Amino acid sequence: MTRLKGLRTAAVVFAASLAAAACGGGGGGSSTTADKGEIHIGVEMPLSGTESTQGQPILKGVQYAAQRAGKVKGFTIKVIPFDDAVNGVHDPQKGAQNVQAMVGDTKLLGFVGPLNSNVAKTEIPIAADASLTMISPANTGVCLTKDSADSRFPYDAGCGGLNKQLRKSNPNNYFRVVTTDDYQGPAMADYFLQVLKIQKVGVASDNQTYGKGIADAFTAEFKAKGGQVVGPRNDYDQNTTDFKPFLTAAKNAGAQGIYVGGTTGTKVCQVRAQMNGIFDLSAPFGGGDGIVQDGECVGQAGAFAPNVFASIAAVDPVHVPSAKAVIDGYKKAYPDPNDYTAYSIVATDAGGILINGLSKAIDDNGGNMPKRDGVRKATASTKNYQGALGSTSFDANGDTSVKIISIYKYDSPDPKKANDEPWVAQENFGEDKPTVKTS
Amino acid sequence: MATVAGPLKQTRLGISGRVGGWIFYGVPLVAFLVLILPRLVLNPGFFLQILVFGVTDGAVLALIALGYTMVYGIIELINFAHGDIFTLGGFIGVLIFSLIGIVPGKDLNLGFLTLFVVIGVMAVTMAINGGINVLIERVAYRPLRHQPRLAPLITAVGMSFILEGLMFIWKGPNFIQSPDLLPGGHFTVLAANVDYRSIVLIAAALVLVVLLTVFIERTKLGKAMRATAQDRDAAQLMGIDINRTISATFFIGAALAAAGGILYGFYLHNFRFDTGFITGLFAFTAAVLGGIGNIRGAALGALLIGLIRAFNDGYGRSEWSDVLIFAILVYVLVFRPTGLLGMQVPEK
Amino acid sequence: MSLAVAARRRFSSVDWRDPNTLTYVGLGFLALIYPTVVYLINPDQGPALVSQAADAGVFVVMALGLNVVVGFAGLLDLGYAAFFAIGAYTYGMLASGQLALSPIGHEVHLPFWVLLFVAVLVAATCGAILGAPTLRLRGDYLAIVTLGFGEIVPRVFRNLSQFTGGVNAISAIDAPVLPFWIDGPWDGGASFAVVQNLKFTAGEPTAYYVLMVLIIVAVVVVIRNAQRSRIGRAWMAVREDEVAAEAMGVNTVNIKLLAFAIGASVSGFAGCYFGAKLSTVSPENFTFLVSVTILLMVTLGGMGNIPGAIVGALVIYFVQYKLLSDLPHWVASAASALSLSQHATNVATDYATRLNFVIFGLILAVTMLLRPQGLLPSRVRAQELQRGTTDESVFDASAT
Repeated sequence: MTRLKGLRTAAVVFAASLAAAACGGGGGGSSTTADKGEIHIGVEMPLSGTESTQGQPILKGVQYAAQRAGKVKGFTIKVIPFDDAVNGVHDPQKGAQNVQAMVGDTKLLGFVGPLNSNVAKTEIPIAADASLTMISPANTGVCLTKDSADSRFPYDAGCGGLNKQLRKSNPNNYFRVVTTDDYQGPAMADYFLQVLKIQKVGVASDNQTYGKGIADAFTAEFKAKGGQVVGPRNDYDQNTTDFKPFLTAAKNAGAQGIYVGGTTGTKVCQVRAQMNGIFDLSAPFGGGDGIVQDGECVGQAGAFAPNVFASIAAVDPVHVPSAKAVIDGYKKAYPDPNDYTAYSIVATDAGGILINGLSKAIDDNGGNMPKRDGVRKATASTKNYQGALGSTSFDANGDTSVKIISIYKYDSPDPKKANDEPWVAQENFGEDKPTVKTS
Repeated sequence: MATVAGPLKQTRLGISGRVGGWIFYGVPLVAFLVLILPRLVLNPGFFLQILVFGVTDGAVLALIALGYTMVYGIIELINFAHGDIFTLGGFIGVLIFSLIGIVPGKDLNLGFLTLFVVIGVMAVTMAINGGINVLIERVAYRPLRHQPRLAPLITAVGMSFILEGLMFIWKGPNFIQSPDLLPGGHFTVLAANVDYRSIVLIAAALVLVVLLTVFIERTKLGKAMRATAQDRDAAQLMGIDINRTISATFFIGAALAAAGGILYGFYLHNFRFDTGFITGLFAFTAAVLGGIGNIRGAALGALLIGLIRAFNDGYGRSEWSDVLIFAILVYVLVFRPTGLLGMQVPEK
Repeated sequence: MSLAVAARRRFSSVDWRDPNTLTYVGLGFLALIYPTVVYLINPDQGPALVSQAADAGVFVVMALGLNVVVGFAGLLDLGYAAFFAIGAYTYGMLASGQLALSPIGHEVHLPFWVLLFVAVLVAATCGAILGAPTLRLRGDYLAIVTLGFGEIVPRVFRNLSQFTGGVNAISAIDAPVLPFWIDGPWDGGASFAVVQNLKFTAGEPTAYYVLMVLIIVAVVVVIRNAQRSRIGRAWMAVREDEVAAEAMGVNTVNIKLLAFAIGASVSGFAGCYFGAKLSTVSPENFTFLVSVTILLMVTLGGMGNIPGAIVGALVIYFVQYKLLSDLPHWVASAASALSLSQHATNVATDYATRLNFVIFGLILAVTMLLRPQGLLPSRVRAQELQRGTTDESVFDASAT
């Protein structure tokens, strides 16, 4: 019996070593030195409940990034998910606990997250104390990194020095690969005014941090550039089901189009659906990255899906040589259409940048397990990371250098075609005088 | 009065007497004269349009509130799971429609047949949903009937979580779309478009209110329900099968919720696993506003909530809609502690 | 000397078979050794676990407060989170840079120790203001009014954004500062050291933990004394039969108002601490589900019983914040122990995450079905329940 067992163990070990060799061979050509152990990276997202529509694709995006990286300088990258939803809703207290648990995991050197800016506000101080790198693929609140909105826009974010208060005396540990509300809102405002030639819009939001932020930024820019925001501003609660009173009021006030800040999960595309019967199909509808490239949005909007315009803080993959491989690889690894959203690609880059930082930090530490502060420094010095979003560098605040907003349009009421929708315009806010380019 | 509630135990008027009456009617009157009348005069077409939206929303809410108030009336349980039963009804309806080939975005052009298809599917869904609710009552509430009143409340919250969880596993976190078999088209009154869809929904709610009222007042089972609600022991002594009566109430409540779920889907198209929870909360509010256990009261409360929200969204600032709804609820209860149509019973 | 005698007499009069006594002793012992044990067993995760226990304490305090309203006085309160919000926002606005952004234009940084009591006063006042016109309502009409209040308050904080920051929340709130603190093994440190002007930080949560335990002890002492005084008996009388209580000369409105105000002030206490520890106060922390959760804690633990409320709060908190969120990790490690493929592991963890609603619901329903009086029921009420054989439950004060 014992001999048999021994034999079996030997066989398993042999098979495992074969498999390891095979993996090492295919693992992106990194050094085939001995296994140095594991490095953990966290993913801090609402993974259960309603917001899991965003959280789960992001988790998968990071898992895909780790899979693509394979072994990094002899270390195995392990992705550890942390769920900050309690009773199905993101919970800042749970978020803070998650970060503390991550701080306690000595192998964990950085994490991707969180989804909500209010959760970030509880997490940044804790992570900053521990020099733990965090890269958010979704936070767009201006005040997390900057003291005020971009001075070219009339939008007052009302920060009051929050970015410094959150980090106290610690060096910056918080980075993000998406650009802020103060660019996304204005980009759509410019597009409405300059390309669609719309002078009057009605504006609504889901009355949450992200939705209200971009709706406010849109309103400020639209007015400043000579447009008119008409009708009652609608900041709806989550139990609102009927948007027709608002839409009718906007229509009566002369609105030619509607802009709504929020996400698919907070019913933005249902507002579009209810324009049916009040507005013509040709009346444009604008939103932020909460509704971009999302089959569910098309499903919700139903017959009124065409002429929905959505912005995203990234370069169109068609215009980026490095993007196609990433996107195709991701779709192969996660074929379920629900798993592919705009967020999953952003998350792949966030994960990729973090792993890149790890790799640099390993080198800096002579090939050994790096320190957290080393990872933070290496990540902060990220220059021209080539990913699905184009070439990303971080500025001193931790913000991405890519300040390009792309605008997409839904053409078909078929949810399955949501990812193939045409790119219609982009605006590069990295330039001194940004203009909307449609080709 | 069509009510399934027992002798309501709320006795004293909050602020009673002549002064109370003046205030109770005076404040809404002033509000009407100052806030609403000028708008009606300035733009009657828009006003009427908002009114139509409000009444339709109220009708949809009423479909849930009716079931809520029935269950509450008979066993005095705030059935937190009722909202989820409503969602479940919608989910089952969508499933059955898709089984017979009716999916959103696809027009089968059934013509007059549509009506029969809808009624048929609705009947099946109501039966399934009713059966599920009876099962839930049997498993989760009946064993606790002689226990502290909060115990079934907690199992109701537990059932609500279980139902939501099951629907989450079934359909995921996304909104699912329901087909729309309501008639298209509209007619115009004073520049306001009245959709035929709205008419159908309002008619459905009205018919259900009438049917339920007749059922509770005229039939034997209805009588048994009223007796059970008033005094369970006495009813039992009179030979009423309490368990059967309560099961029947749960069945009817869930069947109503299923009908409501399907009509909600037709009208608003989108559902999610947690849609019913918060909607159910407002349905409960509507039931209390009208007077718990009172069928017509529930419908009236729902109508009021629909109107408040529609007018506030149309004219004012929608972020205050919920605050206004609950403020009016508190206002009504301070002056009429048993709701708008709740009856006053002398102190024991 | 006489003090010692009194103490001994008091000690010998303790009934050691009473489950409540055992629970108090057990919980007290656990609270005492928890940080040290955690640091010894798992030094890396020590701060996280101690901090989580302190967070759980917030809910324990709230369950204690709600127990006064629901358990003692028999008033169903579905909007308890409102007072929690009031306490938290009181601290958030008066101990951060928030007011500099408001029309007031000046930052206010009052010390935590002062605001703890300001928050209590503000919450109690709000409780009284809400209670005065509505406490005439009975049964579930009162419940729905409290529900309405619970929905109104967070929305008001969200909508008055010029003062409260609105949806952007108030963050970077001041941490409490303690004049001195003794460092030791309970704090993860190896040796004893006296630290002056200790700022409560996330990295060293033991200070928060100790503060929380002290708050709980204080709240328990106050509530327990109230329960055993005339007030407590009046509450019980009102709960069991309001009309009879009134006939016996109990001023029912005042006594209910008092229960409401005490409940509210305890919640305000918890809110203030919560804001300080999390350093962020945002409207989404105070939803209806929070009110329901606290009600679950009280009922599951055993209504009207102080140790019951504590145990209930700890159990529910553990399930929601530890068990359900760690379940995917356990599944993942089980899957890797079984050497499943990465894909299978991901699928399994995915399902563990999706199941968490169902698991929580099952725990609630099954516990209630097995122990309808709660895990640790009040002895007095248990006896009443055994004697009562009619349909009308003891809880339903207004039942015929």
